[in-house]
Amino acid sequence: MLKGVNQRLEHQQIPTFFVSGNSVFSRMVFFFALSIVLMAADTSFNYLSQVRQAFAGGLQPLERIANIPGELTRDSKRYFATHNQLVQDNHILKQQALENAVKLQRLNTLQAKNEYLRSLLSGDIPIYPRAVLGDIAHAGRDPFKKVVIVNRGRQHNIQTGQAVVDAKGVLGQVTHVYPFSSEITMITDESFSIPIQVERNQLRAIAFGQGGNSLDIPYLPSNIDIKVGDKLVTSGLDGIYPAGLAVATVTRIDQDPETSFAKIISTPAAKVSYHLQLLILESLESKEAPSNKAIDNKGTKLNAKNT
Amino acid sequence: MQRTPSLLLVYGLLLFALLCQLFPWASQGIVLRPDFMLVVLLYWHFRAPYLCNVGTAWLIGVLVDLATGSLLGQHALAFTLTAYIALTFQRRLVLFSALQILVFTFSLLVFTRFVVLFLKLLAGNEMPSWHYFWPAVTGILFWLVLNVFGAITYQKSSKAD
Repeated sequence: MLKGVNQRLEHQQIPTFFVSGNSVFSRMVFFFALSIVLMAADTSFNYLSQVRQAFAGGLQPLERIANIPGELTRDSKRYFATHNQLVQDNHILKQQALENAVKLQRLNTLQAKNEYLRSLLSGDIPIYPRAVLGDIAHAGRDPFKKVVIVNRGRQHNIQTGQAVVDAKGVLGQVTHVYPFSSEITMITDESFSIPIQVERNQLRAIAFGQGGNSLDIPYLPSNIDIKVGDKLVTSGLDGIYPAGLAVATVTRIDQDPETSFAKIISTPAAKVSYHLQLLILESLESKEAPSNKAIDNKGTKLNAKNT
Repeated sequence: MQRTPSLLLVYGLLLFALLCQLFPWASQGIVLRPDFMLVVLLYWHFRAPYLCNVGTAWLIGVLVDLATGSLLGQHALAFTLTAYIALTFQRRLVLFSALQILVFTFSLLVFTRFVVLFLKLLAGNEMPSWHYFWPAVTGILFWLVLNVFGAITYQKSSKAD
């Protein structure tokens, strides 16, 4: 190896500026062309997704290593959590547990009643999707996109298109699945849209991510019945998100007299950038018979919020 | 002239840069995160162009594309162009003062950012805020650290001789 280096060195020392310049130039042209071919192949065909998957699998151990310092600090922080904070947390959690217990009592009766009424109307029994708990491994590395990577992947039966929620509402959707991890696009991402309903009057619309921490509901006339503070929930029409999950709250309505459309801005209900854990809901199509009694606690809780 | 670094050192440092790149940067950190791979690439382009050429730059660019999940070839193309400029000027660097080299490197980092931005806009991404150029600033700081590290290893190896 060293010999090779020396040979190349000698070659380097020959003062042939033009030859060496040319070779750098020709290499540049070659790799320039190669990059363009790659970009074209990546945008137009799906051949390269396999390459990506293989690479992501191979990168897994390196990512583990890169994550070690962060995990260590997080763990040590947790270890040295102050007494005060623990007491505070305990207090809040107890209070929440109490509130939830009360809600749960009502929920069981309501659920039974609901199913009974639906069977009377010979409708389908509502489906409560199961959920998988995922830990966020890291926020995406591309600052252009609002994505996070979670530690659940194909090995855990995650599929692209599954809905992702947290305790407050819809977070986003699984967009890429790798062997041991998957990429989740947040509802605030530019490319994201989600069918919604206004909880108050059941008005249907589609909300679009805006890139910041807000959603936009375009194409609605200025005189539409939406007010600041209205809660937006999933309508369930897309077959991806179960109906009735909280999505956002309307925070601002700009009525520009020059356009016939209202500009409606809303803030996501889920805490989009404050999470370590999230729930990946099983997709609705892969459901077996709706008779599954094994209702996930979290799934029911989420649905219960909006019944 | 500086001693020739070994191939192991070149790729070891590149691997270290990849690790830094993969490090889970918090939401604020990702804005400031320097292009580690690019800075290390430029460092080797200047110090050992016979070990680290346009081809290496391209390969590292593809790696960065895969690691960041961006369109395959974006960073590869930007790094190729930057490597070309860096390598054509590499011989003249001896004539530059330290400050000039610093400014040159900084402009290369900014240039790469511009190329990637251009490609991203072509691919349909939104226009980012001016924060997008922070990594060039932090990158030049990382570059300074690298040079200090390089000077120390150089002194050590020359003492050993």
